[in-house]
Amino acid sequence: MPSVSRASGAASTRGRRRDRPTRYSAAGLLRRGLTEQPWPRVWRARELKPTYDVVIVGGGVHGLATAYYLATEHGITDVAVLDKGYLGGGGSGRNTAIVRSNYLTPEGVAFYDRSLSLYRSMAVDLNLNVMFSERGHMTLAHNDAALRTMRWRAEVNTLAGVDSRVIDPAECKRLAPSLDTSSDPRYPVLGALYHPPGGTIRHDAVVWGYARAADHAGVELHQDTEVVDVVVEGGELADGKGPGGRVTGVRTSRGEVSAPVVVNCTAGWASVVSSLAGVALPISTRPLQAAVTEPVKVFLPTVVVSGSLHVYVSQTDRGELVFGASVDPFNTYDTRGSLAFTEELAAHVLELMPGISKLRLLRQWAGLCDMTPDYSPVMGFTPVAGFLCDVGWGTYGFKAGPVSGEQMAMAIATGRTPALIEPFRLSRFVEGCLVGEKGAAAVGH
Amino acid sequence: MSLPSRLPPQPTEVIDRSRVLEFSWNGRPLTGFDGDTIASALAASGKGIVSRSMKYHRPRGLLTADYWDPNALVQVGDEPNVRAAHRRLEAGMRVSAQNAWPSLERDVRAANGLVQRFLTAGFYYKTFIRPRRLWPAYEKVLATFAPGGRVDLQTPHGRHDKRYAHPDVVVAGGGPAGLVAATHAARAGARVMLAEHEYRLGGHLLWGEAQDVALAVRLADEAARAGVELLTDSTVTGRYEDNWVAIAQRSHPGVAERLIKARAKMLVVAPGLVERPYVFAGNDRPGVMTSGAVRRLVRMYAVKPGERAVVLTANPDGDAAVAALRAAGVEIVAVVDARAGEGIVAAHGTARRVEAVELEDGRTLPCDLLVTAVGWTAPTSLLNMAGDRPDFDPTSARFFGSDALEHVLATGGLAGDGDSDGHSLLDHAAQTGRLAAARAAVVAHRLQARTAHAAAVDGEEPPWPADTRSALPREPHPGLFRARTHGIVDYSEDVSSKDLVAAAAEGYDHIELLKRYTTATMGPSQGKLETVNTVAVLAELRGQSIGEVGTTVWRPPYAPVSLGALAGRIFEPKRVSPIQPWHEAHGAHPIVAGQWIRPEHYGDPAAEVVRTRTGVGITDVTPLGKLDLQGPDVPLLLSHLYTGRWMKLPVGSVRYGVMCGEDGVVLDDGVTGRLGEEHYLMSTTSSGARTVLEWAESWLQTEHPQWRVHLTPVTDAFTSINVAGPHSRTLLARLTDDIDLDPESFGFMRVRRGAIAGSPDCVVWRIGFTGELSFEVHVPSGYGLHVWQALLEAGGDLGVAPFGLEAQRIMRLEKGHFIVGQDTDGLTQAPTTGLGRLIALDKPDFAGKPELAWALQQPQAPHLVALQPVDPRVVPDEACQIVRAGTDEILGRITSSRMSPTLGRGICLGQVAAEVAHPGAEVTVRLTNGERVLARVLEEHAHFDPEGARLRG
Amino acid sequence: MLLVPCPHCGPRNASDLAYVGEARRRPDPAATSPSQWREYLYLRSNPAGLLRETWYCRAGCGRYFVVERDTVSNTFSAPPVPGRKTGRGA
Repeated sequence: MPSVSRASGAASTRGRRRDRPTRYSAAGLLRRGLTEQPWPRVWRARELKPTYDVVIVGGGVHGLATAYYLATEHGITDVAVLDKGYLGGGGSGRNTAIVRSNYLTPEGVAFYDRSLSLYRSMAVDLNLNVMFSERGHMTLAHNDAALRTMRWRAEVNTLAGVDSRVIDPAECKRLAPSLDTSSDPRYPVLGALYHPPGGTIRHDAVVWGYARAADHAGVELHQDTEVVDVVVEGGELADGKGPGGRVTGVRTSRGEVSAPVVVNCTAGWASVVSSLAGVALPISTRPLQAAVTEPVKVFLPTVVVSGSLHVYVSQTDRGELVFGASVDPFNTYDTRGSLAFTEELAAHVLELMPGISKLRLLRQWAGLCDMTPDYSPVMGFTPVAGFLCDVGWGTYGFKAGPVSGEQMAMAIATGRTPALIEPFRLSRFVEGCLVGEKGAAAVGH
Repeated sequence: MSLPSRLPPQPTEVIDRSRVLEFSWNGRPLTGFDGDTIASALAASGKGIVSRSMKYHRPRGLLTADYWDPNALVQVGDEPNVRAAHRRLEAGMRVSAQNAWPSLERDVRAANGLVQRFLTAGFYYKTFIRPRRLWPAYEKVLATFAPGGRVDLQTPHGRHDKRYAHPDVVVAGGGPAGLVAATHAARAGARVMLAEHEYRLGGHLLWGEAQDVALAVRLADEAARAGVELLTDSTVTGRYEDNWVAIAQRSHPGVAERLIKARAKMLVVAPGLVERPYVFAGNDRPGVMTSGAVRRLVRMYAVKPGERAVVLTANPDGDAAVAALRAAGVEIVAVVDARAGEGIVAAHGTARRVEAVELEDGRTLPCDLLVTAVGWTAPTSLLNMAGDRPDFDPTSARFFGSDALEHVLATGGLAGDGDSDGHSLLDHAAQTGRLAAARAAVVAHRLQARTAHAAAVDGEEPPWPADTRSALPREPHPGLFRARTHGIVDYSEDVSSKDLVAAAAEGYDHIELLKRYTTATMGPSQGKLETVNTVAVLAELRGQSIGEVGTTVWRPPYAPVSLGALAGRIFEPKRVSPIQPWHEAHGAHPIVAGQWIRPEHYGDPAAEVVRTRTGVGITDVTPLGKLDLQGPDVPLLLSHLYTGRWMKLPVGSVRYGVMCGEDGVVLDDGVTGRLGEEHYLMSTTSSGARTVLEWAESWLQTEHPQWRVHLTPVTDAFTSINVAGPHSRTLLARLTDDIDLDPESFGFMRVRRGAIAGSPDCVVWRIGFTGELSFEVHVPSGYGLHVWQALLEAGGDLGVAPFGLEAQRIMRLEKGHFIVGQDTDGLTQAPTTGLGRLIALDKPDFAGKPELAWALQQPQAPHLVALQPVDPRVVPDEACQIVRAGTDEILGRITSSRMSPTLGRGICLGQVAAEVAHPGAEVTVRLTNGERVLARVLEEHAHFDPEGARLRG
Repeated sequence: MLLVPCPHCGPRNASDLAYVGEARRRPDPAATSPSQWREYLYLRSNPAGLLRETWYCRAGCGRYFVVERDTVSNTFSAPPVPGRKTGRGA
């Protein structure tokens, strides 16, 4: 498929990089506080044009990061990001905001570590405080097999230069005094994988940071604009869609747009959007629920995860505990959440931290996760020319936002699959080359 | 204001003046009466300030004096975030403010107020960006502003059982509408459960006049006599799919809070209305409160809320507040009637109290109490949770339920207003109750009819009762959300309308973005007081109606629920073998293996290995998965599940098999023996027992329903004991007359049945996981412990001793037997495990066949090999990585590793890249301390006795 | 807590059952190419709407059955007739 050329037409804004957005800073706060002068809009509301060089479906972290890198790294600015709701209203706004790179396979580690380093410098790069808190990430092991897997991850991480090590229960207790590391629990803690560079971030701010920067680089952001069809010609399916076809644009709730490149960056709707182009995916959509408690004084300084108990917990700077667990057991697009989730979650959290039983749950919600057979995403080109995917992100999409945007932008600009995301190609399934992260699935990953 | 404010006895007060309760507030002793809430006792003691606001640490007094009061969160002992205006006072309570330091009176962080203009909502996104290394320090500063109470990590976890209830009708709300609906539903024959948030039934009647309270008592009494189960201090916290309703019950004796889960056939939602604060400059000064707060304080708790009051009223509640204040001897400085177009502009005063009110007409009047009655918010969240989309009615200035749901009915304020006597409201409630009962009966009929016993259900399904309730009128009400000045919209998050306007102007102009950016509505009152005002501010800015802007999504729980109540008692079964008492009595070191507790060793696993290999040892393998298969088509099933050949297994023979999924990945392994013509016993791994059963059943039921096979899981039906070692035959022979253990009669991989130590119906097969001559004995569970003890008694002279899981693992590793899930993983296809000979590709079809065939053609995947470190003293940790010499490139990993007592050296199994997976290859193992050592790949997986001579003896 | 209509046990809490997944026809392994087989193994339609799917009544009758459910509203259509064998290929 031809890459989007920088010199394509008047609509391209190569070289016409706008000024940096008005700087956010303490001095700026001071000045505007004194003068009561309002801040400029974080991104502009726009009219939908009839054509673009690139249409990105999905205004979450992945879509916005892709647009940002297209504009700032490759000079491709005639880009429209379309979202059927408000920016960041999908997975980007519903996750529990944990970032880490302590994955199992060398490819996974390289990929997520690149993302983590982009998160680390993001506040400065995007000039918006995304509140990245490098507070450490602890994955508890409650049985031999889990401990072995923790060691596997630690060894792979260390070889890749990522700080990760196995610690004993006493060290777990020192890092998180609220943990019960005695032998009383039904499944006592045997040790943990400790990853100091991991931590939390303000997920909405990441969306706003990329949106603001992309907007100022010339990208158009369109909220409340739902893609209802993808226009494809020449494919082998009955309506001209599908393998062998070429994408020519999209139909939206606000009008038709033609574009030679359409990128599916939706999470929870990946299959729906891809089927509009006639592209089949190996995805099952499951809700992932989360919940938050009332704020209390900060007592949990690190992120705690338990694979065996299927629960993770961290505490925000406002003092709320944020909880997550595993995906719901059956396919659905309903995000209303269940009581069973809060019951199991509370039971497991209290096994880990018995002292917090009087803390109250304030709110629960869910996001939609696109699960793939090998716990890895689907990125890059598809059998429909011009139609790319950055989907299948399961429960780990937010962590990968920055690097995915960087890599997808590279793929779009060059027309070739970058090496870092080659393992995540859609064709790997029919080739029988599933990604190694699945390897650990059978052993308590 | 610190003067005591308790009024003389009021006709409808709920306090018992004969019972004085002592408590402390911020360390100082105070008293109240039984029946007081913490807040009313504080107010009666003249405490006008109960908290400091989150960001600016402004002093705050009571605003609504009910559960939702955002200013009234206090710490009580080890419990944070107690709603002081809801929680009843108890003797000895140690109550303290949560968000003030060093004291509520003098809070140093009130200095934030001086820089308020710089600390607008979301200010932290615009600063603290550089230098990056200071961010952890910034974070620590921000964390000190965390507004909540303190968790005491030593708090004991009260484990309270949950209750499952099966009511026909659940009524959420015990005000007049809820009580009447419940009564009529019960009289119509339904089993009814009602949950009321407050301690007393009656809702808003309780802070009315004497006749209102009398009505409340009468309605409650009628409900009780109709047989309604009445739960006070209990809240319906959520309505989930198919009317799965959660109730947090705080009234169960001795239990702080427990969860009731009810599959309600019908849900009636009657939560009443929540009074909304008004937004104007100074609206968070102590002394500004709602009309309901004033009426509750005066009528229920005999507290005088101030001396001189200005009342802004737009409805009869405001008028009633004026009457209550007059009755309490409060001077009414002015009544500002919004219905006549009057209004207020700002509340002036000090940080500690309001002192004057500026009116629209220009006057500024002195006062120390400003009361607002500007309307109500309908708490529609239970309806929203059921999928309803309530409509905003601008004439009445609030949301109403849409009446579109079939299994959820709204009544009371959510449905409309009554006439001044409340008659039509109660009529609507009565109709609602009857309708709920009628529909519940049809639901009951349906639930029964959908089983296989449909024929047993009497009669046709009755028609679905139509909703013929007369609609309630909706009183017009002025739309009063914000005065022409800016004030606090979200009290718990310290978000003002000015913050909202600035944020929306900056681009966060979608209601969800506005909420997330400013955190408005995300505090402890969950939006009940804040959402409509937030929407109104945004609507005003965008030139839209409130209905067009919509609200944010209402999420469960309706009110916060403690983790302890949600957790309840945790049921995680522990599975143990019948021999467990013996293990415990003999020093077994337990290990958690899935749901099982098993003996890991009895003190010295290496010695256990040596004893077994030189004498005889016994081990408890009861957790082994076992399946009984019967029927003429069992060979077809075995042939399909296993990769190998199973059509001609002779009676009395046992075979080892590997099962794969349809992707060719190893699923499980085990041995299966043929006990009779149509009778087989299959063993699986312990963790795979259930998976294999379900896997087999899915094939039998869905793809091959024509195969005649019956499966019965018998894992727990048998106690399984492995007797291993050179003397195992001798030992076992002493305990059986039935079974001829002679090598000619009972060869390797054979199975026999008979009595062992007097226990009938035992199954014995000769297999060899440990590599020694061994017999695995499956004893009917009741006799398991007996047979175990019999073996030990009978084998004293042979040196018999038990060995545990660790010794088993060492011995199996010495023989190179892999463990599924440890030496294989989610990508390991069978051919790479070295068991290619067990894959019979000429079978027409079996699970995994296509992938296995293709895998055999491309030998690129990692292979399972046996390795030995060149230095025999080295025992690498499991999961150590194998790397390409001189680099950090990973070629594989050690999957199993032990010091072998038999060989006196370290031995391993590992997964390695195909390029180094040949015998004699030397690979580099990186130990966990960073050191790199060499290891050699062996020819076979077995480190010891590769021909298996000891097994076959 | 979703009520799943087991054809034999009647509507039961979803926690009593195990979800197997989309109901698809298993192709004849002898007559498929590797890509076709892997399409069967891995590709899914995953619709936001009606889905034919298999459930297993784990805590009850132990039967596998196929039902149709709207994955957006979570309502089941035409509950299965009790007693009729409903296999993967049905």
